[in-house]
Amino acid sequence: MTEHGAPIHVLKSDAPLIVYVDIKSPYAFVAIRPTLALEAELGLQFDWRPLTLDIPSFLGSAEKKDGKVVSSKGRSPRTWNAIRYSYRDARRYAERQGLMLKGTEKIWESSLAGIAILWVRQTARDRLAAFFEAVYPPFWRRELDIEDIAVIETCLRAAGVETDGFAAFASGAGRTLHDALQAQFHAHGIFGVPTYVLDGDVFFGREHMPFLRWALSGRTGPPPDIAYEIV
Amino acid sequence: MLRVYIDFKSAPSYLALKPTLALAERLAIEIDWKPFRTTERKMTSLDPDETVGQRHRRIRDEAQRKTAIKYAAHQGIDLRFPDHPDCTDLALSALSVIETDPLPFIHAAFHAYWQDRADLDDPATVRRLIDTTGTRLGADLSEICDRIEIAQSEAEADGIVGAPAYVIAEQIFIGREHLPWIEELVRTTQL
Repeated sequence: MTEHGAPIHVLKSDAPLIVYVDIKSPYAFVAIRPTLALEAELGLQFDWRPLTLDIPSFLGSAEKKDGKVVSSKGRSPRTWNAIRYSYRDARRYAERQGLMLKGTEKIWESSLAGIAILWVRQTARDRLAAFFEAVYPPFWRRELDIEDIAVIETCLRAAGVETDGFAAFASGAGRTLHDALQAQFHAHGIFGVPTYVLDGDVFFGREHMPFLRWALSGRTGPPPDIAYEIV
Repeated sequence: MLRVYIDFKSAPSYLALKPTLALAERLAIEIDWKPFRTTERKMTSLDPDETVGQRHRRIRDEAQRKTAIKYAAHQGIDLRFPDHPDCTDLALSALSVIETDPLPFIHAAFHAYWQDRADLDDPATVRRLIDTTGTRLGADLSEICDRIEIAQSEAEADGIVGAPAYVIAEQIFIGREHLPWIEELVRTTQL
């Protein structure tokens, strides 16, 4: 359901591109600034939406304390190696953007931050980039408890977003909207973040940004291959 | 020297070949081709009792295949995934002991797997690829079947977790999407 009561289809939007993100994904983190830059470069407004990952269901779970794993469930050595590589990889790209990325100490429940995206989207769309800056970098510096609504409200205010009514939205219409979206993802081929939806086609990962730029700017010349663009 | 790990049954490795060679030519850099055995999952069909995790993996696998097919078409490759991913161990073992230019064998092996559905763990098939490409091995084909185990252990000990993997300036990159950074590293390390 939208804030106005109509259903949101995960693959449809009035915007030229839908972008799904989750704050607890390091790959979404390093995609935020490049995607915002693409949005600005093309003079378009993308439709940013939350996808709250259910990480234990596909990667097992783990908890760390003081940088050491204190509990782990359902993770093989191969899975651990892949996860470690993923973090190292995201970290080096974050550092290229001047960002710090510390491995998380636990798998966070990040739906509240996702509902905040929906709130900004409907109340102050022009502040969305500022909200991302207020919440993503400090979270990955391990400075934010994103499960605490007071912390999310502080980030909203820091981004210049009004918070009156946010608590009610987070437990009411916003939660309903968020949960209705989550229920549709797998059925439509969406499984992770960042995911981009262009004309109903699903693209997982920021490596598709060269193709998306090409498609959104007139499809001139041959389509580009996947690439992590560097600046 | 750029070290690149590949597996012939890995679609991302296949699709990395052309852009990687283009980069090597552009930068006049040599490539040290290494084998790495990837784990390719058989496509699963819809199971009414599947768990959320199983469904996630099925959706992810389907999406990865669709993406590979789409970008393969951009390269002029008609990518058709086999129903069952076959073992490519013998061809990978051969790659680890090639003494001549390995590129003709690499091209032939990828084509054999993806276009001809050839069994790259079959001695007769691998022998034919070696002979038709004029490749010379440093050991007899009948004696090298375990070479991939050695190469795999060494690669994993070096931190390789998938293919295509690139090693340059003590950094590991998995996937051709990293080629812009790899190119930057090659240029700066060559200075």
